[in-house]
Amino acid sequence: MQPATVEKLAAAIRSGERNAVDTVEAAFARIAEVDGSVGAFLELWRDEATERAADIDRRRDEEQPLGPLAGVPTALKDNMSLAGHELNCGSRILAGYRAPYTAGAVERLVAADAVPVGRVNMDEFAMGSSCENSALATTRNPWNLAMAPGGSSGGSAAAVAAAEVPLALGSDTGGSIRQPAAFCGVVGVKPTYGRVSRYGLVAFASSLDQIGPLARNVRDAALALGAIAGPDPRDSTCSEEPACDFLKPIENGIEGLRVGTIREVTTSALESDAARAFERALETLARCGAELVEVSVPLIETAVATYYVLANSEASANLARFDGSRYGHRAGGARSLAEMYTASRSEGFGPEVKRRIILGTFALSSGYYDAYYGRAARIAGALRQQFTEAFEQAELLVTPTSPGGAFRLGERVDDPLAMYLSDVFTTPTSLAGIPGISVPCGLDSRGLPLGLQILARPFADGAALRAARAFERETGFECRPEPAA
Amino acid sequence: MRRIAELARLRISAREETTFASQLSEIVDYIDQLREFDAGDAALDGSEAASETADNDFPRPADAAGPAGKVGPTLLDQFLDNAPASLDRFLLVPQVKATPGGDE
Repeated sequence: MQPATVEKLAAAIRSGERNAVDTVEAAFARIAEVDGSVGAFLELWRDEATERAADIDRRRDEEQPLGPLAGVPTALKDNMSLAGHELNCGSRILAGYRAPYTAGAVERLVAADAVPVGRVNMDEFAMGSSCENSALATTRNPWNLAMAPGGSSGGSAAAVAAAEVPLALGSDTGGSIRQPAAFCGVVGVKPTYGRVSRYGLVAFASSLDQIGPLARNVRDAALALGAIAGPDPRDSTCSEEPACDFLKPIENGIEGLRVGTIREVTTSALESDAARAFERALETLARCGAELVEVSVPLIETAVATYYVLANSEASANLARFDGSRYGHRAGGARSLAEMYTASRSEGFGPEVKRRIILGTFALSSGYYDAYYGRAARIAGALRQQFTEAFEQAELLVTPTSPGGAFRLGERVDDPLAMYLSDVFTTPTSLAGIPGISVPCGLDSRGLPLGLQILARPFADGAALRAARAFERETGFECRPEPAA
Repeated sequence: MRRIAELARLRISAREETTFASQLSEIVDYIDQLREFDAGDAALDGSEAASETADNDFPRPADAAGPAGKVGPTLLDQFLDNAPASLDRFLLVPQVKATPGGDE
């Protein structure tokens, strides 16, 4: 039997057919059953979740209206604030830090009556593509426990794939929602930059970071996005565009829509199974009535390099705040402030974070600024322009989400460049600020899921969701990982 | 690299220095491919830099009167609860200048 969807759970709780307390209890039971092997959760908030669920049941009994996510057990990535709860960002440097306030997106989630049940693992400061850079835990891919779940929102994707929760929030800077969604066979949405508030999200690269949902199907992801999207004056990059109902037009199909493939995304960059799956995905889109066209985005091949310069430059500045003075880990025995900064940071940050801070500091340093940061910023602007032109020829664009399915845990940890290159199809979307959805498009010969990435114009998140839904309906993919089932 | 690490207030061990140096040099070589796409490339003419969003009509701080703007005593207290050391609502840190015999 397939686990209940977000939509059906919430509807059943609203109608009184089931109650929120039992639903939350069932989620904790499932977590107890499988999370010992999957390792998605860092902490469970059992008491608070049960109280929140009891309140939802009470309000239902009093015939008060309930929100669209009524009673839905939801996992939060370890970089989103929930007041009073610890938040580590997968790092030792934030050990013991308790969020003094709740993130904007989490506030909206809770206002929609979802029930946060715990925080899930991630690569330290969201820097990674396998979740292996977490200083706190190892998360495994529910489809094959020897494989990486992807990253950095690997805990979010694994928790949803293993049916521990029907919904999780992740964050995506260069593919951190979409790539783990693809690896774990779930749907992951990186909304348009500015669509969802980042207030209360620990910043990695502020010009790119975006929060989005991971769910087992497109309708659930659309429902969740509608709940968390919308203006927030506390995040100055958050659009004033009001939230909309992404679910209403979602079954309208893509008959007659022009769907573009990108000439520069060649199948030679793909593992053979992924290339075949992508070809089949295009045939499926054509069967859905899409008109396939080819567009050109020549600078797409520069995206990984451009992204790693810009994101790490921003990270080197954003992470300067972690110095042991205000929160988190403080090294003992320092005789001066400068010594305390250096010792706290050196003890608190893991190797990938150090590598990226060094790279970002280099790209911003005097004498190198223009050759690295300046050049990357110019190229990102031009890439964005090329996407704008491509969207004049097609309403939507499609690429594979990743060059292949999940890789083995440990396979790429000593080769950061190889790890970075798994983001080759997701970083261009981030640089362009456009929405990108990963929807499962089948299994590779090892039985591991592959993802199709659907891109749309800024704020056309709804169009991308509609296409993803049409594609999902046609493929009938079911997320049934055996090891965790 | 040692100098860059110092600027970033990171101390790296000799072993980290060796590993990072080869990894970062490979990454910087990869990034250097961007050279051929810049400098006079027609594709970049008239394009806007990544700071484009700064021109958008985002709310000014005065409009942003959300809870973040109101740092009341409660939020400050919660903030100080996270501090490794504090005294009378001030953060406590080692002295700025090293004590005699210190290595800074």
